[in-house]
Parts: sequence; C-alpha cells; structure tokens
Amino acid sequence: MTRFEWLSRWFFVPVPLARVAIFRLIAYLFIPIDVFVTTRWVAAHAGVPTEYYQPLLIGEWLPLPTPTTAVVDIVKWLLIASALLAATGRAPRIWGTTTFLLYLEWMVIAMSYGKVDHDRYAFLVALAVLPTVGVAHWRDQRRSEAAGFAVAAIFIAVMLTYFLAAWAKIRFGGWDWVNGSTLTRAVLRRGTDLSNWTLEVPGLLHVSQYLMIGFELLSPLMLLVRRDRARIALAIFLLGFHLMVFGALRIIFLPHVIAILAILPWERLQPSRSTPDVIPRSDDLAGAGS
Amino acid sequence: MVTVTDRDPSQPAPTDEVIGLTSRARLIRLVIAAAVLALTLGGSVYGDDYAFPFGPPRMYSTRADPDTPVSSTRVVGLTDDGGEVRLSGGEVGLRRAEFEGQVPRLVDDPELLGLLAENYLNSHPESEPLVAVAIIVRRLELRDGASTGAFVDDVLVTYDLPETMRASP
Repeated sequence: MTRFEWLSRWFFVPVPLARVAIFRLIAYLFIPIDVFVTTRWVAAHAGVPTEYYQPLLIGEWLPLPTPTTAVVDIVKWLLIASALLAATGRAPRIWGTTTFLLYLEWMVIAMSYGKVDHDRYAFLVALAVLPTVGVAHWRDQRRSEAAGFAVAAIFIAVMLTYFLAAWAKIRFGGWDWVNGSTLTRAVLRRGTDLSNWTLEVPGLLHVSQYLMIGFELLSPLMLLVRRDRARIALAIFLLGFHLMVFGALRIIFLPHVIAILAILPWERLQPSRSTPDVIPRSDDLAGAGS
Repeated sequence: MVTVTDRDPSQPAPTDEVIGLTSRARLIRLVIAAAVLALTLGGSVYGDDYAFPFGPPRMYSTRADPDTPVSSTRVVGLTDDGGEVRLSGGEVGLRRAEFEGQVPRLVDDPELLGLLAENYLNSHPESEPLVAVAIIVRRLELRDGASTGAFVDDVLVTYDLPETMRASP
C-alpha cells in the first residue's frame, strides 16, 4: 500500500450520513447561542469607536470592511439567517458555505480589538468542512466517504488545538513553563469558589501544570481512537476537562466543545421505529469536487 | 421516542451502502487539508495572534514567575469627587483583555480614552459627569506562587476630559 493510499484510507473511512446530519444541526444552531448568549461581547464591538479596531493579517490582506456599527449589525443578522437556513439541511453546500464565510468575518470582528481568543479553531474547521458533505438526512444510515473526511478533519483540528497549545507553552513560556505560576495567576485573576481553595494546597497547581502539558503533548494519540464506544469515552473525558476548567476559572472553550461533539456516533440515537421508507438521494457524487 | 441503541448483530445493518468519492474529489480534499495543516503548523511555529486563525493557541502559555506580582488592568472614568466608574469589562464594548492588549497604544495616544468616555456618557445619560479617564493596573503580590493578599494600584495614564464633555447631558 502506498503512503497516499494509507492516508486516503485513514481520511475517508466512511461514516453514516446521519452522524453528520445531527452534528450539523447542533453546530448551526449553536451559532445563534454563540452570538446572543455566550459570546455577546462580539456584538458589543458595534458600539466601540472604530479607532480601536486593529486589523489582523487577514484584515490587511482581504478587503474587509472596517467594523462600524452598521457593518457589525449587518454581519450579525446575515450570519444568524444563514445559520438557521443551514440548520434546515436544505441546500447544505450553499448555506453551509455562506455560514462559514460570515462566521469567519464575525470572528475577524471579534478578534481585531487587542485580544485574540483560541477557542474556535476546530469550530471554524467544522464550519469549513460541513458543506463538503452535501445532502445528509438525519435518518440516513448509509455511510459516506465525504462524511468520513469531514469528521476526520474536525477530529484533527480538535487534537491540534491541544497539541499546539503545548507547543505554544514551550515556545513562549520555555521548557520551564511547568515550574512557573501560570495557574496561580489564572486562579488569582479569575478564581471561583470552586477553585480558590487550590491556592492553599501546596504544590497542587504546580503538579496540575505537569499533567496539563503532558496530556496536551500526548494528544495526537487520540487519533488512534476509532471504536464508537472508545470515542464516546474520549469525548466525555475532554468535555469533563473543559467543565472542570469552567468551574475553576469561568473560561469555557464552548465552540471547541461543540467541535468535540463531531467525534460522537450520533447515528446511534435512532428513533425506536424502523427507518423511513424513502431515503432521500444524496447529491454527493455529483458535487464531489466542490 | 429516542433511545441509544447498540446495533443488534442478529439484525441486518440498516444499510451497507457506501457512498464513495471519486479519486479526484479525494485528491482535492487532501490537498486543501494539507494546505490548511501547513498554514496551521507554520502559524504556530512562526506566527502570533496577528495570524488569526492560524496563530499559535497560546492561552496561558507564558511562564509566570512565582515572585512577580499578578497584574490586572482596568479603565475607569473619574467623577469630580474622585469616584470611579468602570469603563472596561463590557460597559463600552471592550473586554479587560482587549484593553490590556491596547495599553501601549492608549498610553501613547490617550485621546483614545476620551472617545471611550464619550461613548459611555452617550449610552448612560443618567451617569454622573466624568472629569477624567484613567488606566489603572492593580498588582497583586505573590510569594512562591501564592498570593499574600497585598496589592498596589498603579495609575498608568490619566486623560483629563475637555470641559465640553464634563457637562452632564
């Protein structure tokens, strides 16, 4: 087997279309929650003087508009409309693509004011690959290589978020990062009733720093987890980690958490009645190159 | 009703049909994936936050010295009697971390602080008039990585608002 064939086999293990259809619904419906509830500060940039806008590289290269009040509001409502249309599952390539592009612009508006967050790389990858799956009904148990590719790409993006976080700690903090007081600082700045006690336990946060970077460096191994049950266990472990961080620091990587859900075998959530008589045809082969 | 089911081996799988991809479709996907991966790895090795979305995920990556104070920045409006009105943390649409990212620029060009006060007073007409805007850094003392509870407030820059803005609208 050539290397290309091996890579091809890994990336295109077919997964049921139902898995992507259900995950897609979750991802697109998350967008209004993100905009109106959990990341409201992005929309608040509408009220910030444009003098505070500091374009990123992407904003210098692409002719993106300066986020005036009108621009922010228009992008917001177009994004919401596009995400809701994409959530219906109709014309998934069109509405999926517009949703990805609008969300990317929404992120440019979010990150161009002096602080870049790192919680949505995998979610952006998810929005980018979902349109490539094409039509997928949530009772369609047929397996699709395009769906397999989408899930594999999101899985890699989730893994990279951890692995590159370890790399960033080594790059910016040095090998001695583990012996610093980064977590103490974090708890001092953002601690909660659930975490302030950790400041009193000698060595606890110090050891936690070793555990954290150890897990992050080993994260590529998670790509070897293939069986459904093992993937469920992995997702529970990752979600547990993010819930713990949220309890301790009030920081939750919510878009990243949504991306983690892509590795779950959603097609197992079947209605107890039998599968429908009519399964809609997929347009997948016809539009495979798009 | 929706239940989690394990597939019953005595039942045929719902369908064994696999919808394949042409080799051209596979190649396009792999090439784009490789390009995105290269940008991601390149961004993490050579780039910084400016390269978003390909910058390194550097949350909590800087090493904090166990004896260096923890600092926390706030931007406040000052009233005539010396009271403080918080201008960072959502009141004017910027977060604490965003101000911290722009502090060097605000110190060089404090007139930008005037715009903030103007915005705040426009959206909070009931607010007390402000006479100045200040960036204050609170430094919490650390010893061996633990908080001693002591802190010092350091005023980085103060910008006096022009008379015209001081009048309550």
